[in-house]
Amino acid sequence: MNHLIGYHTTQFGELWDKSLFDLVEETISGVLKQTKLTNKQIDAVFFGNMLAGVLENNLHSTSKIAEILKVNIPIFRAEAACASGGAAFNLAKTYLEANSNKNVLVVGAEKMTDYSPEQTITALSAAASGEEQEAGLTFPGLYALMANFYLEKYHYTEENLAYVSVKNHFHGSLNSKAHFRRQITVKDVLSSPYVAFPLKVLDSSPISDGASAVILTNNRDLIKKQKNSVTVLASEVVTDTISLKERKQIDEILATKNVADIAFKNAKITRHDIDVAEVHDCFSIAEILAMEDLGFWKKGTGGQKIKEMSTMYGNGGSLIVNTSGGLKAAGHPVGATGIKQIGEIFLQLTGQAEKRQVRNAKYGLSHNVGGSGGTAVVTILAV
Amino acid sequence: MISPIKIWRRQKEIRKILNKKGKIVVWTKIYTPGSDFKKYAPYPVVLVELENKEKIYGQLVDYEDSDLKTGKKVVSVLRKVRSSSEEGVIAYGVKFKPL
Repeated sequence: MNHLIGYHTTQFGELWDKSLFDLVEETISGVLKQTKLTNKQIDAVFFGNMLAGVLENNLHSTSKIAEILKVNIPIFRAEAACASGGAAFNLAKTYLEANSNKNVLVVGAEKMTDYSPEQTITALSAAASGEEQEAGLTFPGLYALMANFYLEKYHYTEENLAYVSVKNHFHGSLNSKAHFRRQITVKDVLSSPYVAFPLKVLDSSPISDGASAVILTNNRDLIKKQKNSVTVLASEVVTDTISLKERKQIDEILATKNVADIAFKNAKITRHDIDVAEVHDCFSIAEILAMEDLGFWKKGTGGQKIKEMSTMYGNGGSLIVNTSGGLKAAGHPVGATGIKQIGEIFLQLTGQAEKRQVRNAKYGLSHNVGGSGGTAVVTILAV
Repeated sequence: MISPIKIWRRQKEIRKILNKKGKIVVWTKIYTPGSDFKKYAPYPVVLVELENKEKIYGQLVDYEDSDLKTGKKVVSVLRKVRSSSEEGVIAYGVKFKPL
């Protein structure tokens, strides 16, 4: 069985004094220190990153990591848009299944704030289909189509969406590494300007810099020596069409539905067992659809369920969602996000989540989406 | 990056989907676009189901706000979609007009 034995993340935010590889170096050294491992004990590295090639003309990052880590081991980069981190983690798990007694470092990182918002938005659009790009559909635009369809179909309003951001900003206020630590109200969300109707600035995750890392191992002696260790019960990836219009349902991410079914089957637990989840809330609508598609809420009820705020820390619910602040408040450095989500679950299961610690959390799930749903990754961890 | 060759290759497909009628399946209005579309913002983008059931995206032009609704009948027209630079090749593509 594969174990997760350490997690480190840099601050998420607008980190103007740090480059992509400054962040990578910081998080690698952080996670090695925490697990008391040396660079020579790492057998392979998987790196999740989306934009360095497009924005910085910066590829072959694997060799740059070899230079930073001073090693000559296999290093691979995974790219699956905003699911790059989750995909890297899945590859690392698969690598361990094929190799015994190995320690694998998984790093996710993104540097997004060196450029104007238009330039970064254009670069992110590289993960949409050619036709979507030609129509001027940005990522907020694609999720806005899903939101508009959903609100109309189930007779909800923009207010229903706003509760996602209110909850996640509250959680962000409890996480010292979050991009935003300010609490907001439903009124703040509703009065923020539109990005793509019906989604507004406060329905949207920010453009952030950041890097996160975890260490996975199947070395039994090492697992015994570690203070904090969680078991990886499942990590699965499912893909679907890149174009939203090619899917049967506009208001459903089929890849999420399918990957969740596979992951729960492999983990041999049920939805009710999950105590904490990090779901992909790149936009408010995305968390509502994720909760439905993952099977926690019945299709079409998410708009009402979120208003009850049972998934908010401190409200006594049986499943707390996005304690890190989610992509919305913790920030969304795209390559790092999938690793930060898994890391947040690790913190919760090992009792290290400080002010936002969910009591007696035994099982956790993380859900990472690429593009408008072309890739979905679900990871289930247990302590 | 947009190259003249990509535009030329795309043109062959575009002519097949011109002057087609359909209905709006879902719409949005983009306020924060990417670099190539900045001067058009805010602009509506619609997903249209054509009479042959094929689905196509495009911006809606020559519209009133009241045209932005599910089920609205539209027709595809040839319009400039973007120009990457002052001297670059202009890309033409499909947009929709309300009927």
